[in-house]
Amino acid sequence: MARSSAALPVSDTPLSAEAPPVKALSPDVQEGLARNAITFPDGIPGFEACRRFVLLTSEPMAPLQRIESIEGPPAAFLGIDPRLLLEGYRCKLTETDLRALGADAETTLLWFAIISETDGALTANLRAPIVINPQRMIGRQVLPDDGLYPIRHVLTTKA
Amino acid sequence: MLVFTRRRHEAIRIGDRIEVRVLRVGRDGVRIGITAPPDVPVHREEIYEEIRQANRAAVAPQVDLSALAERLRLP
Repeated sequence: MARSSAALPVSDTPLSAEAPPVKALSPDVQEGLARNAITFPDGIPGFEACRRFVLLTSEPMAPLQRIESIEGPPAAFLGIDPRLLLEGYRCKLTETDLRALGADAETTLLWFAIISETDGALTANLRAPIVINPQRMIGRQVLPDDGLYPIRHVLTTKA
Repeated sequence: MLVFTRRRHEAIRIGDRIEVRVLRVGRDGVRIGITAPPDVPVHREEIYEEIRQANRAAVAPQVDLSALAERLRLP
C-alpha cells in the first residue's frame, strides 16, 4: 500500500517525542534518512527554513506518524491520516497544490493532519493538512481558503 | 514599504509575473485580484498566520506517544 512506501528502514525503532535529534544518529541511519527525505519546496508555515523532512512510521505508533525536519531548525510534528478521523474527509487541492506536488488528480497522496496538545486536549489540524506525493517525495501543507474543516478538531479531552 | 495610490481597475506589477489589480473599492473593503504563476503561493495573511501559529504550537508535543497511540487505536 502506498502509505508504507515512505516508511523508513528504521521503522521498527520505537519513536517518542524524546527521540534523539537527527544529527545524533549514526551515519547509516542518517543516510537512510537522506534517502527517504521528502522535499517541501515552500517549507511549512512557521518553519519556512525547513525544506527537507522524513516521515516516520512504526507499528507500535500506528495510526500515528511523525514528520521530522532533517535540515534547518529542528521541527517535529505528530500526525494522523485525517481520513481516519473523519469519514468522507476531503480537502480540496488546487491546481497550484497539485502542480507543486508534481501530482495529478489520479496520484495517490499521503495525508497527514498535525496533532497538537493544548491544555490537555489533543486536537488535529484538519483545515491545513500536510500532503505528500510519495512517488516524487514532495510535500506541502495545504492552506485552503475555505474554513470547511477546523484547525483544532478535538480528538480527546484529557491527556 | 512602497506605497501607491491606485484607482479601480488600476494595477501594480511585481516583477514580470505578478499583477495586483484593484477590482472594486467599497466602504469597508477593497477587492483585489492577483495574477501570479502557480509556483508563487498567495494566501490571505490571517489564514497563513493562523496556520503558522498552529504549527508552532504543535511542534515537539510532550506527550506519551505509545499511550496516545493506544487511545487513538481505531477499531
